[in-house]
Amino acid sequence: MRTRLLVVGLAAALAVAALAVPGGAAPTRAGEKCQLKALDKADKPVEITFWHSMTRANEETLIRLTDAFNASQSDVKVTLVNQTSYEDTVEKFRNALATGDLPDVAQLPETFLQQAIDSQAILPVQACVDADDYDLSDYLPRVIDYYTVKDTLWALPFNVSNPVLYYDKNAFIAAGLDPEQPPETLDDVRAASEAIKASGYPAGFALKIDSAFFEHFLAKSGKPYVNNGNGRKQRATEVQFDNKAGREYFTWMSEMVADGLAVTNARTGAAAIDNYLAIGNSQAAMTVDSIAGLGTIAQVLGSGQFSHVDLGVAPMPGPVGKGGVLVGGAAFYITKETSPEKQAAAWEYAKFMSTPENVAEWAAGTGYIPIRESSVEMPVFQQRLAEIPEFIIGYDQLKEGKSNLATAGPVIGDYLGVRSAVDEEVTRMLSEGTKPKAALQAARKSSDAVIQDYNGRVGG
Amino acid sequence: MPGDGGPDVMGDRPRREGAARRWKLVGRYVLITVLAFIVIFPIYITIVNSLLQPDQLGARPPRFFPTDPQWHTYGDAWDGAHLGLYLRNSFIVPGIITVGQVVTAVLAGYAFAFLEFPLKRTLFVAFLATLMVPFEITIVTNLQTMDSLGWLDTYQGLAVPFLATGFGAFLLRQAFLQVPRDLQDAAAMDGYGHLRFMMRVAVPLVRPAVAALSVFAFLSAWNQYLWPLLVTEDDRLRTVQIGLKQLRQTSLDQVNVTFAGAIIAAVPLLILLIFFQKQLVRGLTAGAVKG
Amino acid sequence: MTATTTPPIPPTPTTARPRRFSRRVREAGLGYALVLPSLLVFGTFIFYPFGKNFYLGFYRNPPFPNLPRKYVGFEQYSDILTSHDFYNSVKVTVLFALYVVPVGIGLGLALAVLAHQRLRGIAIYRTIFSSSVATSVAVASVIFGTLMNPRVGLLPWLGLDPQPPILQNTSWALVAVSVTTVWQNLGLSFILMSSGLQSIPDDLLEAAEVDGAGPWARFRSVTLPLLSPTIFFAVVVGTIFAFQSFGQIDLLTEGGPLKKTNVLTYFIFTELRERNDPGAAAVLAIALFGITLLLTVVQMRVLERRVFYAR
Repeated sequence: MRTRLLVVGLAAALAVAALAVPGGAAPTRAGEKCQLKALDKADKPVEITFWHSMTRANEETLIRLTDAFNASQSDVKVTLVNQTSYEDTVEKFRNALATGDLPDVAQLPETFLQQAIDSQAILPVQACVDADDYDLSDYLPRVIDYYTVKDTLWALPFNVSNPVLYYDKNAFIAAGLDPEQPPETLDDVRAASEAIKASGYPAGFALKIDSAFFEHFLAKSGKPYVNNGNGRKQRATEVQFDNKAGREYFTWMSEMVADGLAVTNARTGAAAIDNYLAIGNSQAAMTVDSIAGLGTIAQVLGSGQFSHVDLGVAPMPGPVGKGGVLVGGAAFYITKETSPEKQAAAWEYAKFMSTPENVAEWAAGTGYIPIRESSVEMPVFQQRLAEIPEFIIGYDQLKEGKSNLATAGPVIGDYLGVRSAVDEEVTRMLSEGTKPKAALQAARKSSDAVIQDYNGRVGG
Repeated sequence: MPGDGGPDVMGDRPRREGAARRWKLVGRYVLITVLAFIVIFPIYITIVNSLLQPDQLGARPPRFFPTDPQWHTYGDAWDGAHLGLYLRNSFIVPGIITVGQVVTAVLAGYAFAFLEFPLKRTLFVAFLATLMVPFEITIVTNLQTMDSLGWLDTYQGLAVPFLATGFGAFLLRQAFLQVPRDLQDAAAMDGYGHLRFMMRVAVPLVRPAVAALSVFAFLSAWNQYLWPLLVTEDDRLRTVQIGLKQLRQTSLDQVNVTFAGAIIAAVPLLILLIFFQKQLVRGLTAGAVKG
Repeated sequence: MTATTTPPIPPTPTTARPRRFSRRVREAGLGYALVLPSLLVFGTFIFYPFGKNFYLGFYRNPPFPNLPRKYVGFEQYSDILTSHDFYNSVKVTVLFALYVVPVGIGLGLALAVLAHQRLRGIAIYRTIFSSSVATSVAVASVIFGTLMNPRVGLLPWLGLDPQPPILQNTSWALVAVSVTTVWQNLGLSFILMSSGLQSIPDDLLEAAEVDGAGPWARFRSVTLPLLSPTIFFAVVVGTIFAFQSFGQIDLLTEGGPLKKTNVLTYFIFTELRERNDPGAAAVLAIALFGITLLLTVVQMRVLERRVFYAR
């Protein structure tokens, strides 16, 4: 404990001293500087821990890249700690705020942004970007927009995903549908489900009750999710999804389930992949879920299981031209409560993982989207595209569409609380048959209550 | 278990010989076999499913016997999912807890049974009162205590709060009270101090109670879920209960591996049950049945 | 053994060395020393947290533990204890206990009676009926959770396939969790009831039979009364365990759907872990303690009167 105080004190003294020296990059806030030189002066190798929640194929790729980083230089050694799920990582991070056992860099989900700012425990990567004169122009603009609040980039984007439509081409053929013309709107999905059900399937669509998809739908409709500039101009105080687009989505869900065209499953716990299993077990033929799963799905299908399925992937159904899908996934957050050399080390690691070649390799190994334009052309990614052309769909979805406040994405304090509140009202609507309009209003009310509870607790 | 069945509780010891009696016997066997099948079916189907391939699990109609046993699932669960490591932790921690509970219970039980000291009754009531306090009311503070001691993610963090129980002290006190007074006097005559008396005479006499407490303590500790979930985040310290939860989460598309894990987690106790049924029963019913 | 017609003589010291402390003081010292280890554990991990818990409830906590918390006195107590979520949680917990305890005891008793017969090979049946004792809450939940899975589970194939699926169905979720709990505790219940049955002396039942009582009458007037201490114990302990159930909720339903399985223990856990609010968790824990205590006292008063102690 005492050593930590000493280090912090030293860092503060250095920061003050650095301020007095002209010529350095202007710090984002007083005392929040990314001191790259600290790495040169420190004892090597500087050991840092990286908390992540990647599993299966994604974890293998992460290990491979991290090992390459550790082997390629002797200044920094990264130790990976797998926390299994985003929720676990966030919880442990929060608990660690009290104990001080924070990692040096963590992969935290896109929902954490407002909390990162409120926790006062994150060093915005903008500080390192400025100190290192790092060029962000090669990144897809929406990806940088997402993690930027009031001109400060808080995290360096890492694994980005968005929802896509997975469908069984063989089921389409059997139902008389064209397997190369997947549904593009909600009405199309409904029509296809009717055909599939008529051909003997128990249902057409496997609906995972996850309000994240609702958020993407609203963004595609060009509508912000919360007020105050989608939470970016000022702290959000209420939701704004109770509109025509919201009603359209809720009505669609309600009618699909009521008419027996869709089966549902929850998004957490043991039921989390039941929608995939439904397609595999011929209980449905379509579902919408994250493209991040494509790598593992390809692995599973490639091993010969569920051999009757011919997988098709298509962009998420919804409106086109008014907005676009959001940036899902997670990013590199650098902790403030650590020594300057560890922060510099963390920055070096994040930079390594973000070179065009490594971004391409990461995308190829996992199915996450290549977030740098130049990585798409890299051979490793092109090779993967040759094997699974569907991988490009996530990238295309992210690149097309407009860049506006809606597609920049909402910034909400208790983001997961709002998601749970909406999920609950959707669950209620689907199990008790409440009218979609009323369910949407109820979702609005409970989401507002959640937001205000958080804002009250944080003393905003 | 004392022999095959006991007094005829449901009665109707058959008075008529012959066909009626035989049919009744058959009937009884059928009924009891059907019930046994229902009770054991979940375990049976889990073993079957652990040996199927993932896409066979959802087959309709379901498979009740693996024609192509996937023995690798057990290896996957043991190594890949670290269940072997978790099993080890699940033995170590309850082991520590059991030893701790027995030692503290013997010491305290002896004191309550054989010694006089001021506030003895009050202290005994306090011991029993601990049984009334639900675990949940202590977790917040205990977590903070563990944190300030630096015992999060350690064996001691998992075990120390449970090193003593009021139940153990109560059980051992009752047992020690059964030790005949004559023995005590004879030992005193021979110049035995309390400690020697305890170790040489009293404790050996209460062996059944110690065994019962050991079983009960071990089983309770084995079954712990909430506390290990809160106290350990480090993979190396996980117990098999939490490990099973994690295994399920990471193997959602390989349910057969999850099932293999469930069987692995159940096997140790199944073995204990088969070989130590008598002690198990005594341990579980201690305090329940009069006499 | 020596005859004990004379009162026992206190042991005299065998040496004439003068002692600094009297025997009584030394005995008291030894007594305290022997209870000290237990007391240390109780003091640190039960009594101290119990007291501190009341104090924790006085503070509202920020979402991050490194930010300051706010003293609000009893306001947090009244807010939480009058909230809709709290009433729901109490209702769910009581309902869960009502589902699990009588059914668990009844089934255990039925199996114990059936396994109490003099049949060849009955020992194997007894082992099978006890077998769920080997399954922990995690094992039972994983097994039943998958049995009820709409995609790969057996129960949907047998016809139990509602939409939403069983564990996500507001009408079925609590029942499903209860069934899992009953199965998991069946072994213990069986063992308990069996032991109780075994302690019933044969001659009482034979006497009743000689008097002409049929099997049901014998069960009602001899077996059941003599079993009542065991049943009473099972009810009291079973209710306490039911109120403290957590693992199966965490593994099967996570308190849902729509909080229909949000028992108090799970509510406490989510306040602590997801909302990061130890103050709220503390208030709920006190409520849980109060309700458990009240119920136990009520059971002891009301039910123990009907227990027949053969003394």
